[in-house]
Formats: sequence, C-alpha cells, structure tokens
Amino acid sequence: MKKAVSILAVAVTMFWGTGSGIAGETIKVGFVDTYTGPATTFTNDVLDGFKMAAEKINEKGGVLGKKITYVTRDDKFKPDIGLTMAKELVLKENVDLLVGTINSATALAVSDLCKKEKIPFLVTFSKSDKITGSMGHRYVFSMNENTEMAGRATAKALAKKPYVKYWIAGDDYEYGHAIANGVFDHLKTLNPKVQLLGQSWWKVGETDFTPYITQILAAKPDFVIVATGGGGMVNFQKAAQSTGFNKKVPFYQHTAIELSTLSPQGPNAPEGVYGTANYLFYFPATKENKAFVEEFRKAYNRYPKSGALYGYMTARFIAKSYEKAGKIDKEKFIDAMEGMTLDSPVGKMEMRACDHQVTLPMFFGVTKKSAQYDFLTATDVVSVPGKDYMPSCAEIAKTRAK
Amino acid sequence: MDFASNLFSAGTLSQILVGLSRTTILFIVSSGMSLILGVLRIPNVAHGSLYMIGAFAAWSVIQFLGGGLFAFLAAMIVAPMIVAAVGFVLERGFFSYLYEREHLMLLLLTFSFALILGDLVKIVWGPEYRSVTVPAFFQGSAEIFGLPLPWYNLFLLLIGPCIAVFLWLVINRTNLGKIARAAAVDGEMVGAVGINTGWIFAFTFVLGSFLAGLGGALIAPMVNISLGMDHSLIMETFLIVIIGGLGNMWGALLGSLIFGLTQSLGILVWPQFGIAFPYLAVVAVLVVRPRGLLSSTW
Amino acid sequence: MRRSAAPFLLLLLPVALLALPQVLPRFHTYVAAIVLLTALLATSLNLAIGYTGLYQFGHAVFYGVGAYGTALTLTRSGMPAPVAFLVGPLAAAALSLVMGLICIRLSKLYFGMLQISLGSLVWAVVYRWYSFTGGDDGIHGIPLPDAIASPKGSYYWTLAVTALCVFAMYRIVRSPFGKVIQGIRDNPVRAEAIGVDVKMHQLASLVIAGFFGGVAGSLFVVVESSVFPDMMFWTFSLEVLIMCLLGGMYTFFGPLVGASVIVLLRVFASVHTQYWGIILGTILTLVIIFLPDGVLGVFVRRSRPREVPGA
Repeated sequence: MKKAVSILAVAVTMFWGTGSGIAGETIKVGFVDTYTGPATTFTNDVLDGFKMAAEKINEKGGVLGKKITYVTRDDKFKPDIGLTMAKELVLKENVDLLVGTINSATALAVSDLCKKEKIPFLVTFSKSDKITGSMGHRYVFSMNENTEMAGRATAKALAKKPYVKYWIAGDDYEYGHAIANGVFDHLKTLNPKVQLLGQSWWKVGETDFTPYITQILAAKPDFVIVATGGGGMVNFQKAAQSTGFNKKVPFYQHTAIELSTLSPQGPNAPEGVYGTANYLFYFPATKENKAFVEEFRKAYNRYPKSGALYGYMTARFIAKSYEKAGKIDKEKFIDAMEGMTLDSPVGKMEMRACDHQVTLPMFFGVTKKSAQYDFLTATDVVSVPGKDYMPSCAEIAKTRAK
Repeated sequence: MDFASNLFSAGTLSQILVGLSRTTILFIVSSGMSLILGVLRIPNVAHGSLYMIGAFAAWSVIQFLGGGLFAFLAAMIVAPMIVAAVGFVLERGFFSYLYEREHLMLLLLTFSFALILGDLVKIVWGPEYRSVTVPAFFQGSAEIFGLPLPWYNLFLLLIGPCIAVFLWLVINRTNLGKIARAAAVDGEMVGAVGINTGWIFAFTFVLGSFLAGLGGALIAPMVNISLGMDHSLIMETFLIVIIGGLGNMWGALLGSLIFGLTQSLGILVWPQFGIAFPYLAVVAVLVVRPRGLLSSTW
Repeated sequence: MRRSAAPFLLLLLPVALLALPQVLPRFHTYVAAIVLLTALLATSLNLAIGYTGLYQFGHAVFYGVGAYGTALTLTRSGMPAPVAFLVGPLAAAALSLVMGLICIRLSKLYFGMLQISLGSLVWAVVYRWYSFTGGDDGIHGIPLPDAIASPKGSYYWTLAVTALCVFAMYRIVRSPFGKVIQGIRDNPVRAEAIGVDVKMHQLASLVIAGFFGGVAGSLFVVVESSVFPDMMFWTFSLEVLIMCLLGGMYTFFGPLVGASVIVLLRVFASVHTQYWGIILGTILTLVIIFLPDGVLGVFVRRSRPREVPGA
C-alpha cells in the first residue's frame, strides 16, 4: 500500500506543474485549436497569419510598449479537451484573451466559459451562426463568416439564376444542415419559384459518394446544394470528377473555390463547380492583397488560404484595440474593438458593435482550369459586400432574445 | 419519398453495383482482421492504423514513381508489403511473447499500438491532407442503365472476387493455410505434432496486415488521405467480422456484402437514415444468431 | 491489503482531498474534479467487467445518457436541480436494463460488440436530433445552483457524490451479491448448477454499473456545465476500459488509479506536446508487458480467475 500511496504522490506532484506566465510584461494570446488530424490544414494558416502580423507589430515596438506573445493548445477536435485546454489557458496561464477554434461545439463551450470568466474570445474558423447569433454575448467575437452569412450570400447569387428544381445533399451534422438550410431558406424568400425535390445526407467522413450521386442524378434536379464540411470537400469533388457529376448537374459547395479544396487535387479537380469563399489569393488583384500574398509566401513558402486572412486580421484587431483602449484592460479592449474598421487584403473590415461579427466580402465564383497554376481557380468572381448578406442588428437581437 | 418506385427502378441496379464495389474494400480489410482474430485470437484494434499506413504508403510510392498507371499498380503491391513488414515487426516483437495473456489485455495492447502508429504516421507524413489521383486509365465512368459508375468502382468490383478466390486458395489449398486453420481450432495439438506454431502465427498476422494495407492502398484514389482514417473503418470491420463468424473468410465476405448493400440500398429507401441501416442489420443478426451467421473458429 | 499501511492511507487521503481547493490554483481544482468523476466512471465500469466478467465495451453510453438526462432536465424542464441529478442516472440505469435484456443472451466478445452497436444507435440519435439535444454542438451554459457552480463548489459536490458512490459500490462488492457475481465471473456453469440465477444477477450488475456511470455523467454537467455527444462515443468507452485495465481490473481501487493516471496524463501531456498518443501508447505497452495485472495489481495479491484453456 505504501507503494500505491507513493504512486499517487507522484501523480499529485505532477499537479504542481510550473505555472508559467510573467503577467503584465507581454500581451499573452492563448490559442485553443485543432492541431491534430485533417483540420490542421486550416488551423496552421490561422496561426501563421497571426504570427506574420504579430511579428511585424512587435518589430515596430509592440502594443503599448508590450510584445504580443502566444501559446497554443491542441484540442484534437474534441470539445471536452478543448474546454479543458481553454480553462488551462485562462486559469493557469493567465492569458489576456483566447483565440480559436475550428470546431464549432468547442467554440460554443469556450464562449460560455469566457462569458463566465469575463475574458475576450476571438473565434477563428468556426462557422456556427450561434456564436454571434443566438448564443452571442459581450465577450465573444467572430473573425470570419458563419453559415447564416454564407447562406444569404449564396442565395443572393443563386436567386438571379434560372434554376428551379433543387436538391440538397451534405454531411449529416450541424454545419451541413446549417449551410444547406441557410442557402435554401433564403433562396426561397428571394425566389419563391424554387422547389426542393429531395435531400441526401451521409455520415461525416463518407468516402464513397457514388450511391448518393446516382440517386441524385436519377431525380434530375436543376441544381444541387452540396453541404460538405472541411474534410468532405475534396472527397466529394473527387467523386464528382470521376462520375462526371459536375458536367451533368451544376452544384454548389461553400468553400468549393478555396485553395484548401482545390490545391490538393492539382489539375484534376472538377470544373464548373460553384462556390463561395472569404479569401482568394488572386482576387481582388489589389495592391494590398498582392503585398499580403508576397509577404506570406516569403515567410511560409506557400500561398495563403482563408485561415491566413483570419489569423492576420485577428492580430491586427487585437493590436489596434489595445492601442485605442490605452491600457491592458479586458473591458476597455472590448469597448475599443466594437465598431473598429481596419484595412485588410480584401478591403475594409468592420467589427460590428451590435453582435461582434466582423464584416468582410464574400466571393462567389466557378471553378475552372488555370493556365497559370497547377490547380484550378475561380472565374466569374462576384464580390458580395458584407453588409449585403449579414443579418441585421435587429434580427440578431431577436434571435438572442429567444 | 416514394419507396416502391425507387426500389424497382434502374437506380436500384446501379446502387447494387456501387454497394458491391464498396463491399470489396470492406471485405479485404475485414478478411485480414478475421484471419487475425480467428487464428490468433487477437482483436486487432490497430487494424485501422495498418489500413491508414497502407493509404499513406501508396501515396508515397506514387509520388516517388511520378504518377501514372505503372506507379499506381506498383503502389498496390509495395504499400501492402510495407504494412506487412510493420505487422511482422509487431508480431515478432510483441505479440509472440504475449499469446497466453487474456483477450482483453491483447485488445489493450493493439489499442496502444493504434495510438503509437497513429502518431507515427503524423510524424512521418505530417498533418496535411494527401491526395492520390485516380490513374488516367481509370478516370471517368461507364454508363450503366443511364447512370454513371466510375471505372475505378468497376475495377474494385472485379478485384474483390479475385482476392477472395486467392485467399480461399491460400487457406484451403496450401499446406500453410491448412495448418493455420488447424492452429486456429487447436493450437496445442498442432504444436504437439511438431509444427512450429510461432511461424504460423507470424505468417497469419503478416497476411492480415498485408490485406489491411491493400485495402488502404485501393481506397487511396477515392478519398482524402488523412489522419483519422484509422478510426473510420475500424468499427465497421469489427462488426462485419462478428456477424460473419470469427475467423471465417466466407463470413467476412457475407458480412461485407450485408454492410455494403444495406447501406447503398438503404439510401434509396430512406435517404436521411441510410447510415443507420448497416447497424440495424448487425443488431438483427446478433439477436437472431448470436454467434454470427457462419461458423466461427472459436 | 497490508494492514499496516491502511490506517495511514485512510487518514491522509481524505484530508488531502478536502484541503485541495484551498491550497491549489483554480485550474488544478478543476482537474481534480474531473479526475474524481472519471474515477467514479471507471469504477462503475469495473463492476461490470472486473467483478461480473462481462465484456462491457459500450459503457460510455451510460455516462453520456446520465449527462444528457441531467442537462436536458436542467435546461428544458422547469424542475429543480436535485430532480435533474436523479433523472440522469435513472435514465442511464433504465437504458442499461433495456440494453442488458437484449445483449445478455450473448457471451464475451459478442456481448461487447452488440452493446457497442446499440450504443452507437443511441449516439446517432443524440447526434442527429439537433432540435432536442443540440446535435453535434452539444448543450452549453447549463444553469446550475449557485452553491455548486463555482470551481470550488463543483469540486466539493463532485468529491461528496463520488465518495458516496464509491463507498456504495465497495459495500456492494463485499456483500453476498458481490460474491455471487464474482462466482459467476469465475465459473458461470458451476454457479448455474448450484441454483444461482445467472442472468438475473448479471442484469442487476449491469443496471448498477449503468446507474453509477450515469451519476458520473451528471457530475460532468456540474463541473463543465456543458455536454457533448462524443461523451457517449465508442472511442471513449475504450478509454474508460483502458483505465480499468491499466489500474488493475481485479482490484477495487485499480480503476481509480487508472483513471487518475490517464486524466492527469491527458491534461498535462497535451499541454506540452502534441504527440500524446505515442506517450500514452508506450506507457500502456510497457504496463501490459511488465505489469499484466495493471498498476495496482502489482501490490494486491492476485485473486483473478484462471482462464479455462481452449475456451
């Protein structure tokens, strides 16, 4: 028994882990995100974009004389681990604010924690509209689009098209349903003639779409809304390519035109696929965007994807907000960030005060082979400005009141 | 949804063919697991990791050889061999010393290996997605009853029975196979007759690993090759083996057929819940025939 | 247990546990609460697997149902907290009974696999029923009575409930019922022969295990004020199983030790490295090879059954 006690004693001493964090000398940013598994292709960009901006800011003397530092914790795409890691960052590492995560369930749980602990949380990549919508509050901010926004932007673009008979398909989880409903419900209000012929839902991580594709083709819709999540994008496009689905029926996926979806497939990605994205490194071909791309390529030897934009702007919003606040104070930081507008590689981005949702343009385009790159790019790109597709402050207030 | 008209349309036949091509991968992977479970009594949770290594290894081989049909075919042979080698190391290095332990401990051991192998894959290949394109020879699809069936799915449809026949030959017609089957039923007797059961067990585990790797290599062109692949197949594989009968090749085939077809046809009947059908089938089978559909070697 | 050390342990541990939140930082108090409820969960599993010999591969579903039962009662019905804390475990026990009735006819591996299949169906329902259970987002911001909402409050509540339940299970295991189920584990044929209703006892054991698993789930709600569908996924069942095996399946406190090690390892290793899979896998491999009866099994005299050869 004495030996058992000593084992427990060892376990207890593990408890007294060194609590790092020399509070006050730096601005400490805590990242909780998924750095294991398929999601890393997105989250690495967020971190790299952040690092790029933060390093530049630090070189110029930092914020209020303090350098921006960061620590990362891997949530392994599991909400319970994410919540534990967030608690570790807040309660033990004493971070000034939290940034993360790509998993919406984790983001919501951490958001709730931050509400209780009164510490700001900047959400990167999670796309649940509940984050700034029905479950939004003073301490949470979203640095990217959500499913409601993507749905509205797409509905606007599709309403102008002649398609009437729609089919909905996608990954059977919250994100899939939210995107599909977001697009179709708004489409119906804009164009009452559209009809829904049917729906197909497959498990997240499905690899063989042929049975679903054949079923959809048999129903002969005019257009298909395909609501796949990050991992399913490439899988579905591969299946579309090999069955010729994209040539038989036009379809849409959110992020279909993003680099993360098109680049792994090289020149074999399907053409004619409609998609939306928040960032394209080649559009708009403005000075700011080109400079951003150049800087990113020099630092990391690859083209930036959407995550890089989110991470980059997160760092800049953090820096400017502290500057405006004048001191390292969480409440003043929040007040300062509300309503702040910054220049970005995609134009002006505003942090809306009523719901803490960042406004950014949405790009709607079609995939096409490119002469310049060995992956496909988007053509016929239409840029939908943020205010045209975001829910109004009144609508947000209504969802939060419920 | 009009169930009846859906069931009897041309779409049904197309769905059946698709379900069968999915059966191939399931069968290849589960036959490997069935072998290991039936002969060695090891519930191999690491089987999924071996499958994943097969996919990544195939990617590496194709990258190395520059793509194209030759590279693809080479990968189909080399990748499973790499996985077989990993299996050999695991068996000779660890399992061979631990056969007398309880099943639960062996299961725990394979789980530990699954954890280790999962991280090793991350270390060797990194966290980013990999993608293997279907070789030009197989690109595009055939029109079956007006609906597309990718050539690659057809390829899988044909390969499946070939592998099944090959396995049957190995297990029933070669001496090695016969001894392995005997060892599955009564290892002590086989040892008593003077045969070195150690090498039999090693051979079985290596063959099982080869099959897992082959499954991974074959599915590589169809999916995102990513960390987490190991989890996607392991549950289905276990269930197939259980309902088919432990250690029974035909059982693995039958189980895979049930899984593949219930899912592809389930989508026709009830699109939203198609994914639940295979699990319902499993529950039904186990309630009616608890030991599995065909005889097991246990 | 060696008697000389027992009084020493009996005094030291409760004092340490009670004093913990006063001495350690908030984060450690939170981790301690997680360790306690996970230890309860592991001990409840061991009732089924170590003491009754059933291959309980799907235990996480009872944990999840307990948690969701409590969470849904707290967020959707107007009922007070004490009711919620009963609804969860009772729902888990009820589910355990139903699943037990279906699975009990099977033995060993088949029992385990059927349980996993049924558990997966439950998981699938929770995962898809977005409007009721929150789907894969889970439920967050669950309201709790003020006294137990704070880190210290939730810790003390968890400590009290865990201690009570572990004590209860200890008494059960030492009771005549406990002896009977161990007899069934060692030799079901003989037990049947002397007139024991094997199935009834196994079912009872399952229901008790499910109930206490559900209690652990309700404690999770108190500590985290959130629930997630992953709580009932089969990979978590396997993790809990490993806690039992690691600590020693044939001792009462083994699962407790196993749970503590795994939770602490997970939290503190994840903080420092992203390769915790290799670390855990290596530790497990070493334990299996060199400590076949688990960590605690080294210290406690072996009372495990010998497996009948060829079975």
